[in-house]
Amino acid sequence: MANELLREAYEIQGGNFDKAGEISSEIKVILKDLGISASNVRRSVIVSFEAEMNVVMYAERGTLTLILTDEDVCLEVVDQGPGIPDIELALKPGYSTASDEMRLMGFGFGMGLPNMKKNSDEFLIESQVGKGTSVFARIRLNSNG
Amino acid sequence: MVELTHGFKIDGDKCRGRMRCLRSCPTRAIRVVDGKASLNPDLCIDCGSCLQLCPSGAISATTITFAELDKFKFKVAVASPALFTQFGPNDTPAQVAQALLELGFDAVWEYAVDIALIERAITDRVKSWPGPFPLISSSCPVVVRLIQVSYPSMVEQLIPIDAPREIAGRELKRKYSQELGLKPDEIAAIYIAPCQAKTISILQPAEGVDSHLDGSVGISQIYNDILSKLRKGSIKVESLKGFLGSGELFHWGVPEGEFPNLSQEHYLPLTGLTDIIKVFDDIEKGKFGNIEFLECHACQGGCTGGNLTVANLYAARATNLHLIAKIPKSDPVFEKEVERRYAMEDFSLRRPIRPRIIKEEGLELRDRVTRRKRADEFLKALPLLDCGLCGAPTCRSHAEDVSANRAELRDCVFLDRERIESLRIIYRK
Repeated sequence: MANELLREAYEIQGGNFDKAGEISSEIKVILKDLGISASNVRRSVIVSFEAEMNVVMYAERGTLTLILTDEDVCLEVVDQGPGIPDIELALKPGYSTASDEMRLMGFGFGMGLPNMKKNSDEFLIESQVGKGTSVFARIRLNSNG
Repeated sequence: MVELTHGFKIDGDKCRGRMRCLRSCPTRAIRVVDGKASLNPDLCIDCGSCLQLCPSGAISATTITFAELDKFKFKVAVASPALFTQFGPNDTPAQVAQALLELGFDAVWEYAVDIALIERAITDRVKSWPGPFPLISSSCPVVVRLIQVSYPSMVEQLIPIDAPREIAGRELKRKYSQELGLKPDEIAAIYIAPCQAKTISILQPAEGVDSHLDGSVGISQIYNDILSKLRKGSIKVESLKGFLGSGELFHWGVPEGEFPNLSQEHYLPLTGLTDIIKVFDDIEKGKFGNIEFLECHACQGGCTGGNLTVANLYAARATNLHLIAKIPKSDPVFEKEVERRYAMEDFSLRRPIRPRIIKEEGLELRDRVTRRKRADEFLKALPLLDCGLCGAPTCRSHAEDVSANRAELRDCVFLDRERIESLRIIYRK
């Protein structure tokens, strides 16, 4: 088990498009500051941004936790929202349940979850309809992906 | 590590510690200690924000003097299109070029050709690019350096095409050395620059090669000399046969019009560092992937608004429009030359651009985390007013400086009354 070096938790408020992305910006600053390689910062930020957006778009509220260890960056997102009935379908690129309004705002093109998966070395998702969704993503620091 | 040279210098004798530079620096590279400004060269991106704001005139741009040019046998001026927008609407580019010749240049390069060549090279590269998108223009040295320092993961999105001024330097040396029987190093290719950032890009190109240019002269440096030639009326229009046959020259360096061959919805022109930083932050999160090409100029209004220009940006822009309207758009001689050279030359950057390595790396991740946590603790003691009196631009940077042992926490005036007294002595008139 790798040593945990840093843990920061952030609250995400559903429906708040105004503030969406601020947590990811902060995570970016932290990781960059700590000298994490450019490509790993980029992957982590894409994962956290998509996660943040998913909560903002669909859930009432959620928590994003950044956990840094000697070996990896982990992002844990737990939300209280509608849940995802068919996870396999939701992971398909282009599949989206976003409303027209969200699409007009430039969101909901069905690339969120696939992008998160693509940019992490380990990706777990669990969901309960009517309760919420939790996502765990790991970005290994020694990988060059 | 190679010592970084920068496009400007801070004169310690003139500096009165007024802190405008400290507050304007986008990468927080400046500190003001004991009333004197200093610069961390690793973080400086040569944007020149500080240069314009210094109330004491302590910051000056690095350019060359005319005396330094005397060692060359043949001197060629490559004039930024911004130069021609600096005078009155009735002062033609040809007259300005003639004034350059009278000032001692042996030739003025037909730079519009190189600009048209790079437009084409960029258009072709964008169309064949596999990704990632958007590609970002690499002609503004500040944008390149901002990415190297603050957005290292985006270096591969800088379009690997050389700047037109470099292509001009290469071609003019080839041409004149052949025609005049001179060695390339006996010919000076001198850029007439709208900003000091382009000077540094000549002294030290971001990709770590030698520039094809030999130096630069700032527009403000020769403005008065050109103006007096123009106003004395000594310039004869008849003698200016065939120079600058195309209006293309005036499209370069102003936003919207750099690369007309890309469709509007995939092409985004941006000017001003503040706006560029906002867009880059979004690109880092994976946004803007639908844009193929971002044209970025760090100065508000593009190169016409460069910090070595003289005329008011909006006056210069009006002159620019006036000049474009007067010059015929199509010129077969010009187009033939573009065709000929496009087939002959390679416009790729000679080396890839890499992120800048910032010193003090080498610490273990664990130690860096500890240092960051300490900085967070120090920050709690600070007032979050970002007054700058400690010498750092923000309370956050002061906390980081303290944590890295570069400063003392009690440099903050809120934590130590004596600090106010010592500042009073330093700033006493």
